Amino acid sequence: MNHAASIAAHRFGLGEPTLAALQNDPQAWLLAQIGPADAARGEGLLNTDQAVAHVTAEAENRRLAKNPPPGMTAEQVLAGHYREVIAADVRSRFNTAVQTQRPFAERLAWFWANHFTVSLTKGTVRGLVGAFERDAIRPFIAGSFEQMLVASTTHPAMLRYLDNNQSAGPNSTFATRVARRASAQAQNPAPSMDAMEPRRVVGLNENLAREVLELHTLGAANGRADQAGGYRQADVTALASVLTGWRVGQQTDAINRFDAAWHEPGRKTVLGKNYEAGPEALRAVLHDLAEHPATARFIATKLARHFIADEPPASVIDKLTAAYLRSHGQLSEVYRELIRSPEAWATQALKLKTPEEFVVSTVRVLGTNSRLEDRPAAGLMNNAGGVINTLGQRPHAAPSPAGWPDKAVDWLGPEAVWQRMEWATRVADRVGRTLDARTLAAASLGSQLSDGTRLQIERAADGPQALALLLMSPEFQRR
Amino acid sequence: MTRTTDSTARRLLLKALFGAASTLPFAKLSFSAVDKSAAKNQKRFVMVILRGGMDGLQAVPAVGDADFAPARGPLAQFAQPALPLDATFALHPNLVQLQAMFQQGELGVVHAVGLAYRERSHFDAQQVLESGSSRPYELATGWLGRALGGQNGVQNSKGLALTTTVPLVLRGSSAIDTWVPSNAPDPSVDLVNRMERMYGADPALAAALSRARALHFDGTMASNVSAEMTAPGRGNNFTVLASRAAEFLAQADGPQAVVLELGGWDTHANQANPNGAFANNMRQLDSGLAALRVGLLPSGTWQNTVVVVVSEFGREVAMNGTQGTDHGTGGVAFVLGGKVNGGRVWGDWPGLAKKDRFEGRDLRITTDIRSVLKGVLADHMSVPARALNADVFPGSEALRGLALLRA
Repeated sequence: MNHAASIAAHRFGLGEPTLAALQNDPQAWLLAQIGPADAARGEGLLNTDQAVAHVTAEAENRRLAKNPPPGMTAEQVLAGHYREVIAADVRSRFNTAVQTQRPFAERLAWFWANHFTVSLTKGTVRGLVGAFERDAIRPFIAGSFEQMLVASTTHPAMLRYLDNNQSAGPNSTFATRVARRASAQAQNPAPSMDAMEPRRVVGLNENLAREVLELHTLGAANGRADQAGGYRQADVTALASVLTGWRVGQQTDAINRFDAAWHEPGRKTVLGKNYEAGPEALRAVLHDLAEHPATARFIATKLARHFIADEPPASVIDKLTAAYLRSHGQLSEVYRELIRSPEAWATQALKLKTPEEFVVSTVRVLGTNSRLEDRPAAGLMNNAGGVINTLGQRPHAAPSPAGWPDKAVDWLGPEAVWQRMEWATRVADRVGRTLDARTLAAASLGSQLSDGTRLQIERAADGPQALALLLMSPEFQRR
Repeated sequence: MTRTTDSTARRLLLKALFGAASTLPFAKLSFSAVDKSAAKNQKRFVMVILRGGMDGLQAVPAVGDADFAPARGPLAQFAQPALPLDATFALHPNLVQLQAMFQQGELGVVHAVGLAYRERSHFDAQQVLESGSSRPYELATGWLGRALGGQNGVQNSKGLALTTTVPLVLRGSSAIDTWVPSNAPDPSVDLVNRMERMYGADPALAAALSRARALHFDGTMASNVSAEMTAPGRGNNFTVLASRAAEFLAQADGPQAVVLELGGWDTHANQANPNGAFANNMRQLDSGLAALRVGLLPSGTWQNTVVVVVSEFGREVAMNGTQGTDHGTGGVAFVLGGKVNGGRVWGDWPGLAKKDRFEGRDLRITTDIRSVLKGVLADHMSVPARALNADVFPGSEALRGLALLRA
């Protein structure tokens, strides 16, 4: 079972310095981890309400700072900047993953946060991404898919990231009011400041609707109009209408996220089914999408691709799809099916680690936080987010709503390998003299350690070089 | 000149250490790079991918079309006047240097251009754009990679992407490098040697490492990145990358094809804000393309370079409810270079009246982007028609390449 122990630790986890604890029954070690993700570790973490209040105050402060009140400097007004919130969120994501005893659950939390990407590359989402992960993803990773879909779709970060916050029903009370005001102004063009501003136009924004269908449920590859589960432009527009009203205003609280004044009245038809106006429609649509066979297959394929291979075997996709449909999207059942599938335990490690997986597994394998808190190694911990950014995967800042890519070809460029090596060299220079890379390689990789790699590590010129070779070995770069 | 001498000496030393250095992809380049004029006779192609779906009607507004202002509403208003191109079209006010190139005849615009794919997904559309197919996921490699790597492809061809990993458009050829600025010191040659031995059983890692080693240790590439270029906060901004691309392209044995990317075009909201994302991106694109030209002029390479700038789709003609635009289909492409027969807007203008739009909402596509690319690959890179129709853009026989270059 030694192979299986190493596979459990690396393919399904985040690396372990020794395989002793899971040697006996690697499958049981994984199955026991299925459940909600650990509570996020760290200080200064805000829940969703606090985070929304914080970014709202932040926007206000930025206005104030341009003209600080008497007795205050602009710096004082801006103290408690959202940058601190972002830094705390990134630190927490890293530290939680480094310290967790349930690395499989942590990998699943990362997987789902990436599936439902919100990214601070969009200004209005800054300061909300960590709260999104903690409140809309981590509690739900082993529950029903539908629950997580509802939580993520209606979370302020998602509503802002995909512009639903500003999407108004063209015939909503709000839009009608704006139009009436505009036409009154046009008839009575008083030379006020208001009249100088461009006319405010309100209406639908399709962004969230399209990505819910394409990226979160049915999937783009499944989503063509000529195929089962396919949707058309009319479905996108109808779902956008269903979504109107779900928003977080500057003044509204985070809990009550539905504003009826912005909602498009009337019945909508999505994928051939009718939904009445009102806030309940969204839940109903999301329920139907979560139950859709195309969703089951899309989620099954993504999970298999993430854990097994860039091109996973069709047999395992079929099994996961069946488990999803059988259990009505109970994700714990899908994970159990994954762990029970022999295809998931193929000896050869085919997946290339992402930069974040590489950095976190390095720190975990180097182990003992005490050593990492030694002065020479402290730098590794302080700027983990910066390192992962340099390697091409800035935490909480995925480049698009599709999230980070999940195939080796997307991570394995010449420059990418070079940058990993540069970092591995720096790590090895700091800690390579205080540990024996040969022992560590055997303890951490077990029988997955190939003779070729073992030979190179044994023959290294010195400790740091041996460690750099271990970190850059195919066995450690892949999982 | 001192730099060249130093790097030559360093390279000789490395060659001794590596033994097999002469088989490295760019190994010979350094010696001939002293004579930059050699690049003058070699054709160069640059592809710039604007990811996110650039609004072609905001970049190249049809100000002379009577339907433009009513169709666009507030989006038709620019903070400064748009820069005129001809009786119908103008450029976004931030594309100042592109307008100058247009006036000199070095830049042309293809309007109402797009893909055979019309479903408005970023991810599928980018797959189609880069794979050179008409349907998503029909082809797993890129048209430029196949043009470079095919038996009938570009002679002696090498590709370079100024990105960390190889973009799909370049996949399919083995001779592809990637490069981005880094200010970290290079790892030791000895470690790299040992890693190459360790990667014997992992061809993918071995290939990536060997190409990276060639790029970093051959001296001319990474050693002379100025501190300013990699200063914190500057990031790998588009202008820096474009300047670096010019340096690579100008080398005698440099890459035949270079791919650059600029993202951030998915402007669902506040698109017309003069300080917003779209306006800033216009400024970056303008200064980056100008930097590329300036970098290629002294060596004469600009005369042998064609640059094509495209996005995966355009956007809906009408403004959406949030002062932005939702995903559409038809957009614009820019074609520029020393031999480009520019100073004109190519393509059939479909008009903006509702009845003329695709599905009543988007700018109708009248030119398939493959016609633009086939024209450039045939006339500039001498890719035979047979290869274009069979390998590079399979199933595209019916699409004639456009003649975009001066005779």
